[in-house]
Formats: sequence, C-alpha cells, structure tokens
Amino acid sequence: MRRIYSVLFPAVVATIGLAVIFASCGPVAAAEKPIVIGGSLPLTGQFAETGVWIERGMKFWAQEINAKGGLLGRPVVFKIYDDESNVGKAVTFAEKAITVDKVDLLFGGYPGTASRAVMPVAEKHKYVYVSMGGHLKSFEQGYQYSFGGPPLLGEWWYEGFFQWLETVPPEQRPKKAAVYTMNNPIGASLIESIQKWTKKLGIEVVVDEKYNLPLPDASSLIVKAKQMNCDILFANGFFADGVMMVRAAKAMEYNPKAIVQGIGSVVPAWIKELGPDGDFVFSGTVLHHKLKYPGNDRLNEFVKKEYELDGYPVYFGFGYAWMDTLTQAVEGAKSLDQTKIRDWLRTNKVNSICGPIKFDEKGLPDPINFCTQIIKGQVELIWPKDVRTAEPAYPKPAWGKN
Amino acid sequence: MNTVLVVQSLISGVIMGAVYALLGVGFSLSWGVMKVINISHAAFGLIGAFIAYGMLKLWGVDPIVSLAVTVPFLFVAACLVYRVLILPVTRAKEVIVSSMILTFGVAIILENLLLLLWGPDPRLLTTSYSTRVLILGPFYFQYPQLAGFLMSAAGVALIHLFLSKTYTGKAVRAAWQQPEAAQLCGVNLKRISTITFGIAVASAGAGGVGLAFLYSFEPHAHNLWLIYLFLVVIVGGVGNVLGTAAAGVIIGVITGLSLAFLPYQWVNLLTFGLLMVILVLRPEGLFRSEV
Amino acid sequence: MKAAATLEIPRKRIAAGVVVLLVLALFPWLGPPVYFVSFLFTVFLYVTLATSWNFIGGYAGYLSFGQVAFFGIGAYATALMQNGLGLGPAGTMFSTIPAGVLAAVVSAVIGYPCLRLRGPYFAVITLCFAFVIQLAFRNLDVVGGADGLWLKAMNLPIEVSRSVMYEAMLILVGVTVLVSIAVSRSKFGAGLRAIKEDEEVAQTMAVNAPMLKMRAFALSAFFTGTAGGIYAYYLTYIHPDIVFDVNISILIVLMALFGGGGTWLGPVLGATVLTVVNELLSTFVKAELARIIYGLLFIVVIIFMPNGLMEFFRKRSEDRRSASPESAA
Repeated sequence: MRRIYSVLFPAVVATIGLAVIFASCGPVAAAEKPIVIGGSLPLTGQFAETGVWIERGMKFWAQEINAKGGLLGRPVVFKIYDDESNVGKAVTFAEKAITVDKVDLLFGGYPGTASRAVMPVAEKHKYVYVSMGGHLKSFEQGYQYSFGGPPLLGEWWYEGFFQWLETVPPEQRPKKAAVYTMNNPIGASLIESIQKWTKKLGIEVVVDEKYNLPLPDASSLIVKAKQMNCDILFANGFFADGVMMVRAAKAMEYNPKAIVQGIGSVVPAWIKELGPDGDFVFSGTVLHHKLKYPGNDRLNEFVKKEYELDGYPVYFGFGYAWMDTLTQAVEGAKSLDQTKIRDWLRTNKVNSICGPIKFDEKGLPDPINFCTQIIKGQVELIWPKDVRTAEPAYPKPAWGKN
Repeated sequence: MNTVLVVQSLISGVIMGAVYALLGVGFSLSWGVMKVINISHAAFGLIGAFIAYGMLKLWGVDPIVSLAVTVPFLFVAACLVYRVLILPVTRAKEVIVSSMILTFGVAIILENLLLLLWGPDPRLLTTSYSTRVLILGPFYFQYPQLAGFLMSAAGVALIHLFLSKTYTGKAVRAAWQQPEAAQLCGVNLKRISTITFGIAVASAGAGGVGLAFLYSFEPHAHNLWLIYLFLVVIVGGVGNVLGTAAAGVIIGVITGLSLAFLPYQWVNLLTFGLLMVILVLRPEGLFRSEV
Repeated sequence: MKAAATLEIPRKRIAAGVVVLLVLALFPWLGPPVYFVSFLFTVFLYVTLATSWNFIGGYAGYLSFGQVAFFGIGAYATALMQNGLGLGPAGTMFSTIPAGVLAAVVSAVIGYPCLRLRGPYFAVITLCFAFVIQLAFRNLDVVGGADGLWLKAMNLPIEVSRSVMYEAMLILVGVTVLVSIAVSRSKFGAGLRAIKEDEEVAQTMAVNAPMLKMRAFALSAFFTGTAGGIYAYYLTYIHPDIVFDVNISILIVLMALFGGGGTWLGPVLGATVLTVVNELLSTFVKAELARIIYGLLFIVVIIFMPNGLMEFFRKRSEDRRSASPESAA
C-alpha cells in the first residue's frame, strides 16, 4: 500500500502543477471559459408546457449571442435543472446553481409562485435575478436584486384592454359583466384591475365568482352569465378552463359583446386546438411578435424555420427577453459582478423586444400592457393604437356567424 | 329557485359523473378482485385519450371508433404488465401496499413517455360534432358530452354483463369472493387475474376517451383524474361495478347541484367534505361490496 | 410475525449513532456550499415526515394519506404566529412547537371519527381530509387565501441562516427517530403492532385500540406539524399549493413503505434513498428520462423486495443469526 502512495502522491502533485501552469499561461485559455447561466425550469409536471417554451427562447438567445462572439467575449452555456413544477425544488436548484455550480448568472423561472420563493434566495446570495416575478406583492418585499425584466404581472394584464375599451363610445360599451376567476395568485392579481376599471367605465359586475382548478364544468357558469344578461365575460383562467368556457358559451348560444380571457389564450395550443371557436377572445400581453422593436423579427424568423409558427409564442419571448436584459446589463457594466450589474440595471434603460424598460426602486418597469385579440387564428395587437396590427372585432360576432 | 340553472348543472354533473364512473369501474375491479390498487389506471386512460387524438388528427377517425384500436392494445399491454410486473409482487405480505408502489412507478413512466412522445402541450378532441348541441326546451346537451355519456353507459353495461353473464366473468366473481373454492372448481386464478386486469385497463382507455370528450388533457392530467377515481370507487364500494357507476352519477350530481347553489370556490370542498361524511357513516360504500 | 422488534442495539451501534449525529451537526460549519446544507435539510425533512407517518402507518398499519394537512397546518400556524405576534428568529423557531401541538390537536379531532375506519377507507378519508384542508386554506382570505403568506427571513447571511435551519431540522429528525425507536420497543409499540396484525384479537387482549391509535396519530401529526413550521421559515413564502400539496402526502407514504413500514429504520432509509436518488437524477439526467428512471426504481425495488428495502437487510441479518430462534419474517 505504502509503495503505491509514494508513487501516486508525486504524480498527482505533478499533474496539478502542470495544470496550473497551463491554465495561468495565455489569456486565450481564460477567454474560452464559458459563462454559465443557471437555474431551474418546470420541464416536467404541471407547468411543463410553459417551461419548455421558455427554455427554447433562452436557448435561441444563447445560439444568437454565441454566433456573435459571446458575452464579454466568452461563450454562454446554460445549466438548467428540472424542478418538476415544484416550488421547493426550484429553491434548492437555485441554491445549487449559486453555491455548487457557482454560476455566473441566474435565469428566471416559472411560475410566479416559484419566482416568489426564489427571489429571497437570490437576494440573500446577492445574485441578480431577472424574471417574471411573482406578481406585484413579490416586488413589495424590498428585494434589491430582483428585476421584472420584463415581468408578467396579473395586475397589468388587462390594462391594455380596458384602455382600449375606454375609447369605445359609452353607449356601445358592455353594461354588465360576469367575472369568473381561478382561485390562485394569478387569478387574484387579475381581479384588481377588473374591479378598478369596471367602476371607472360604468360596467356593473353582476356575477363575481372564484373557482378552484380543475374546473369540473363550465355550463353552469355560462348559464348564470346568460341569465343575468351579462354582455361581457371575463374568463380569468388558464387554458383548460378557458377552453371549457368558450365551448360552453358556443354550445349555449351565449353571445356577449366581448370575451376576455386570462392566461390560456396566449399559448399556441389555444389557436391550434380551438380553431375558429377561439377567435375574438381578448387578452393582454407583455410581449408580442408583431411589435416593431428590434429583435422581434429575428425571433419570428427563427420560430418560423424551427417550429413552423407564424410568430413566436409569448413564453419563448420571455425566455429570450430575460436573457436579453441580462446581456445588456452585463455588457453595460462590463462585468459579471452582481452588484455592478444590479447598479447598471437601476440606472440604465434596457432595450427589450417589448420596448424600452427602465426599472424603478422596486425592480419594476412602467406598466407594460398590450391588448390582444385573436382574429382569424392570429393574435393581433389592439392597443396602444401605435402598435395596432388589426382592427378590433367588437362587438363579438355571434357564434357561427364569423 | 333558478330551475334552468339547477337542471343544466345537474345534466352536466350527471354526464361528468358517468364518465368518471367508466374510468372508475376498471379501477374498482382490479382493486376488488386482485387487491391491486392501480395508481397507473388513469395514466392508461390518458393513453387512450392520446391515441384517440392522434387518430383523429391523422386520419379523421372518430374517437369512439379509435377504441377499436385502443381497447385491444391496452388489453394486451395490461396483461403483459400484470404477468411481468404485478404477479411477482402478489407474494408480498401486503399486496395492496406493494402494488401501489409498483403502479406508482408505472404511472410516472407512462406520464413521461407520453411527455416524450407528445410534448407538454394540452390537447382537445375536436370532432365534426364538437360544437353541435341538442336543445330540448331551455336545456342544452353538448354533443361530445352526450357521446361521452352514452359511451360510458355502454361501457359500464358491457362490463356488468360480462361479469354476470359470461363464464369468464362469473369465474372472476367467484375468484374474488372465494378464491380457494374457485380454484377447486378448476378456475385458473392466475389466468383469471390477468384477464381481469387486462379488461380493467382496457376499460380505462375507454374512460380516458370519455374524459377527453369533456376536458382538455396533457401528460400530467392523469394525476387530476386519479383523485376522482378514488372517490368514485370508495363511495360505490370496491369491486362493485354497478355501485361504482352509481357513485359516479351521485358525485356528479352533488358537484352539479353545488355548482348551482354555492359559490364555486366551495364546490370541491363540499364534494370532498361530503365524501368524508359518507365514509364515516357508511364506510363500505353506499352499496354493498359485491362484484 | 414479529417485525423488527428484536433489533437489539448494542453499545457499538449507539456510539456509531452519536458519532453520525455529531458529524452531521458539525457539517454546515465546515464551510460547504450552501446548496448541500439545504439539500441535507430537505433529506432530514423527508426522513422526519416519513418516520412520523410511520407511527400510524407502519406500526399501526393505518395508511394515512393526509399527513400533508398537518404539515401545512404547522406551516401556517408558524407563519401566522410570526406575522401576528411579530416574532423574531428565536420566537419563530420555537413557535413551530405549538404549531406541531396544534396539528396534533387537529389530528385528535379528525382522528376520532376517522380512525374507526379500516384499511383503504381510512386511506381515502385521510386523503379527502388533505384536500378539504387545502381548499379551505385557499378559500380563506384571512390566512392569505390564494395569495399565500410571507414570513420575515432571518437577518443573517444566508450561510448562517441556512445552517440554523439545518440544525433545527437535524434536532427534529433526531428526536423523531429516537421517539420512533423508543415506541417500537415499548409496550405502546407492541400494542400498535398487535393492532396492525389483527385489531379484534388485540382488543380482546386488553389492548385499548382506539386510545393507542389516537396517540399514534397525534404523535405523527405533531412531528409533521413542527416540520411544517420549520419548512415555512426556510421558504419564507408559503401558499396552499406548496404546503398542502397532496403529492407530499403520497410521497411520504411511498417513502416509508419503500423503505419498509414496520421498522423505525425503514422510513429513514426510504426517505433518504429516494430523496438522494431523485436529486442525483435531476442533476445529471435529462428531465423526462430522469423521471422515467425514478419510476423504474420503484418498480425494480418492489419486485425484488416487495416489503421494502428493509427486507433486504433483515434477510441478511437473519442469515447471520441463523442459529438464534428468529421467526421467519
């Protein structure tokens, strides 16, 4: 045994020594060392659909920037863990990325509840965390290192729609609203703006109910809305319940002047699976593939080639945009030092694919809110006027007559 | 009282319950007869839904017709699974426990295989009659829901007939009630168990199509379906096919009615709470446990 | 069938146990990356949950699928106490104990009707209970409702705060396992085993089954609730979908049974193995494939060891002591 050690020991030392010499000579070796960006995404489980699209957007960003010579001259590489749509795992993987993999940068995850739990971790470790955020409350906890760049805030989601509705002459506006909201943080954040605006626009909320997911049946919801003569329906839910509401509305010949849907209608599956029945639904968004800001065309081109889609899906855009924000900050600060990146973000403007973003002391930009409507199987922009890509179809044509 | 709302909710509830009943019958069967709690039951159902979706999109085949492919396929697959995986486990001290752990593993594998094959996007069955409606007075019957209901009713009836009228079916019941006596009469327990499991899982495929008529689905969906399965089976009595069917309808009715009378966010709570009450008062289920 | 009741613990093993605990206690202060501290925290958490489940599930044979309800109650109780009473770090930590007591009280209330049920019925009613509690908390705005609750984190550098969490959970898991060992070797444990074997027979032998079951249930709820409180403080944000997640309930049962239900060591093994394997898979293997391998693990282990991992160890220890009159397991 002892003899092996007497040979092994010097050999190991020699190898280490040589490695150190090789590593320290030549800046070329250091420049090749990639920048590692780490974190977790729900790649399996309940939120896999969204997680997978975010990953695709991120990977496109990496591909693009590496083709241009990398970030600060170094190639970028991801360390993406699958948190299985589990918040606890998102937290441990964030910590793993920071403390074990010692990543240079963190990327934002999904959904909002995961972000809510990861933000304090990033804060404690003093890592900049650019993500969708966990709705408004998560930005009111005093975190200095978290940025919604851009964020996905339920509180802003319908702002664009209501601002457009305000331009509709009062006698043509809907008078009575049926509001159905899913019982979770996202739903809760959507309700606020509805309450504020319906009051402002003189719309009476006659039905206001919350439901737990999964929604067992939508017909009773539609019956109620129909009986109460509600001419605007707010379906504040995800894809599954949104689909049920639309189908039930069609089946029961419920024809409100407008249907406003929460988060389900912005995913590609809505148009793909519902077809023309999914048309005319209003929603909001933070990103859109028809925006004229630089970058959108590149994303569209890639998505057309790679996935045969006519415009990048929202979450693909988010994955790209968060990385893009980080890129500008890192290049602006000319450093990977987290505090320098944070300070740069606090004082500078980011040119994102959804417009210029300037962060306030909470880490939030000014409200970004576009109103969308699905027309002929395309998600069109309705508001603000200067980004409008199609005339809104209002009131909604009766079922079967479009 | 808002009659239209109540009746319409009842209609939807009954349809929903019937569909869960079909999915639950097989679950009840494997639990009652073979003491196998098949956690992957709903996942197999999901396979049926995906096959229906695929055949619909590729060849325009109606989901009910797709069962001609799904049912035999799942039957064979289930028999294999039973022979290879479950049979060795039946020698355990507590089969129920070991079968649960085993089928839990199977469920995870199935879900992630589906994820690999189909991706995480949600799917809808969109047939030519998907948005057609039957209107009787003030009440609406959506065609796909009717289809789901009729299919479920037929499926449950078929299984019941099989168990009560055919030789194999009676052998299954005998094996469940008195295994030793059945063996003495020449019933090959292993073969019977395999066939029963095969039928149970094949019916899950049909149940999955039924659920797909009502709801959108993606690889993760079986977890949501599984909870209702437990409800339906326990209320109906483990191993009791007609009981499970009735339980499905009852649970559907309760859900439907509560949607009509309560704020929606309390509906699930009521359903589960009521179930707890039923269990405490009459744990063997509302109907006597007999196959 | 005698379960592992005859696990004699020679002095060597006690010494080994103490050494292990000391090493574990020292670990976070040796400066490892915070992630490992957090990861071991998670391992301790699941060992605690599986071991405390075992009181009612493994020893008494009543498979409770509602443990997560007590976990969440403990979490919310701690969060509410911190927010309501303005507790500091020490206060919050200690509030996890009354939180656990509250969970135990709830278990007594719910146990009275539920423990009258047997087998799968008990399992389903506890599962329902877990759902009911989750839905109730989601609907009640006074406890945060669908928004969840925030806790104030400790004003310490993260290495220190994580280490404190780690030690707290280590203490809890140590106590839980010790109690589990003690119970398994006590008359209480013998009574529970008798209940599991055949409840009617046990009752004729003057075993007060209802009382023993309630005690076991309360014990399991207490440790689970306390663990929930510590976890709430660790996450600093709780929400019904996180702390009342029914998947936790199911996972606990699987972990304990995977390891082997009737012994104190089974849940410890099961929880540790599954948590570690899951983490390794997630780290090194692509997402869906990792899950498939995880599923395969359950299948393979159960086919070869249908009574859990402990069966493997028991067989080996039996082979070694083939001379002594051990009843066949």
